[in-house]
Amino acid sequence: MSRSKAGGGILDRGVGVLFLTPSVGLLVVLLLGPFVYMVAVSFTDLNFALPGHDGSFVGFDNYRHLMQDDPVFWSSFRTTMVFVFGVVSVEFVLGFTLALLLFHYIQRRRVVLTLLLIPMMLAPVAVGLMWKLMLQDEFGVLAYYLRAIGLLGPQTSLLGDYHLVLPTVMAIDVWEWTPFVTLVVLAGLLALPREPFEAAIMDGAGPWRVFRDITVPLLRPIIALVLLLRGIDAFKEFDKVFILTGGGPGTATELLSIYTWRVNFRQWDLGYGAVCAFMVYLVVLILCAVFYKAVYWTEESQKS
Amino acid sequence: MSRPWCMVVLAVLIVMLVVALTPYLWLIMTSLKSRLDALADHPVWLFTPTFEHYPKIFIDKGYLPLLMNSAVVATGSTLISLVVGVPAAYVFARHDFPGKEDLFFFFLTTRMAPPISVVVPMFLMFTAVGLIDTRLSVILAHSTFNLSLVVWMMRGFFADIPREIDEAAQMDGHTRAGMFLHVLMPLAAPGMAATAVLCFILSWNEFLYAFILVAFEGWTLTVGIPGLVTPHGTLWGQVAAVAVVATIPIVVFTFLVQRHLVRGLTFGAVKG
Repeated sequence: MSRSKAGGGILDRGVGVLFLTPSVGLLVVLLLGPFVYMVAVSFTDLNFALPGHDGSFVGFDNYRHLMQDDPVFWSSFRTTMVFVFGVVSVEFVLGFTLALLLFHYIQRRRVVLTLLLIPMMLAPVAVGLMWKLMLQDEFGVLAYYLRAIGLLGPQTSLLGDYHLVLPTVMAIDVWEWTPFVTLVVLAGLLALPREPFEAAIMDGAGPWRVFRDITVPLLRPIIALVLLLRGIDAFKEFDKVFILTGGGPGTATELLSIYTWRVNFRQWDLGYGAVCAFMVYLVVLILCAVFYKAVYWTEESQKS
Repeated sequence: MSRPWCMVVLAVLIVMLVVALTPYLWLIMTSLKSRLDALADHPVWLFTPTFEHYPKIFIDKGYLPLLMNSAVVATGSTLISLVVGVPAAYVFARHDFPGKEDLFFFFLTTRMAPPISVVVPMFLMFTAVGLIDTRLSVILAHSTFNLSLVVWMMRGFFADIPREIDEAAQMDGHTRAGMFLHVLMPLAAPGMAATAVLCFILSWNEFLYAFILVAFEGWTLTVGIPGLVTPHGTLWGQVAAVAVVATIPIVVFTFLVQRHLVRGLTFGAVKG
């Protein structure tokens, strides 16, 4: 890599510092600040709903509460895990298949692709709203047709039934985010070198062998990237589920983010709420570190 | 490729498109239906459109300022993120310094930060400094994720510019800062436009920060939607009208920046 010498080292560094400081400063104030504040509050009993809980230090009480006597948190954690692993795996399989179809069979794919992307570009709140509208018991269009073909009992409601509601919400997430997998995998497919494929076909490999032994290994960095990005986003899911069910019925769809919201802004238990928020943060940070490694992996493999 | 197989693929794609688009079309149709058509006991696909819901919700019920708030917040956070982020992206693309990639990782994690975890302490902090309930608080909150998007995307666009251009500019007597402003920025302008549109979309679509940080006067369109959905007697035509106004600009923008979507949504990891 050639570095230009002109311009002078000191002046160079001056420009660098001057250009970087505002952005680092803004992020430190707006993200690191709240992060530190959150950790600090998690050691207090701050509660806007109870008199006398004005933020005195309570040590690890909130953490102890989390580990020992909050089954709701842990059931919410389980719900979130089911949601994340469920939606990401289905979106991956569907999105990958769709990307392969577009790659192999469609020449003018730009318009088709853009139309397919619409679900994920709409505001998640609007997505939640349109599905709630279609699933309304009395007049929802989807509920009507599902009943007409006998898939849904006359008294059952997809968003009101304790056992059906989580799969329903997950299906809506699949509808929204499958195009993302398609978009990224397709970009990956288009960037692959042609030579390995030509060589394999010359050697008489069938389509399945080519896919398994060449396409998948070459795409591995992209696959890792897509799974992680979707995993992180699914873990943070809030908007859509909030408008669709508000976490209910009962706690059937209460994801960690919604539980954290409820503890903080319905029970106003900010001390304990900070612990919940911290837990969500922690999981995302771990996933982020994995993502970072995966991105480097991508760059390394692109160089070689 | 045999002909029947092609037909199968085509059929699959058509089904996919129908599944992807019908819910949105149904929303648009609902916003144009009379109350009678919307609440009919069987789905109505053909009807005489009415535009009554739009003036009713935006004028009579005072939702027009929400549109204004959405525009102000999205524009504001886009501008701040560009002004602060583009120079930083340039440094990442052209300068080397110890810890560069670690700092870059810090920018990445800020994009990933879970809003629910950030917004709780942010709510308390903004309350303490009197910023709560202002549009500025939402603008700042949205800058957290948009700033890192700008840095990630623009680093790639600057890196795409050949280094020979820098050298030629320095021969012409430009200073580092002058070269950035007068030579590199214009060259990166198309990428910057795409980045700006993506920032605008992310901010416009955002819900949680705006929902927590402001009361009714500062509501954006997305925040206005859930409040209109009640357990009984929801005025679906009016909510649908709000949702349509909240989504139409995004659909238009999506077509505009389609080429850059991959890069923007994967943090530059995939060029697309």
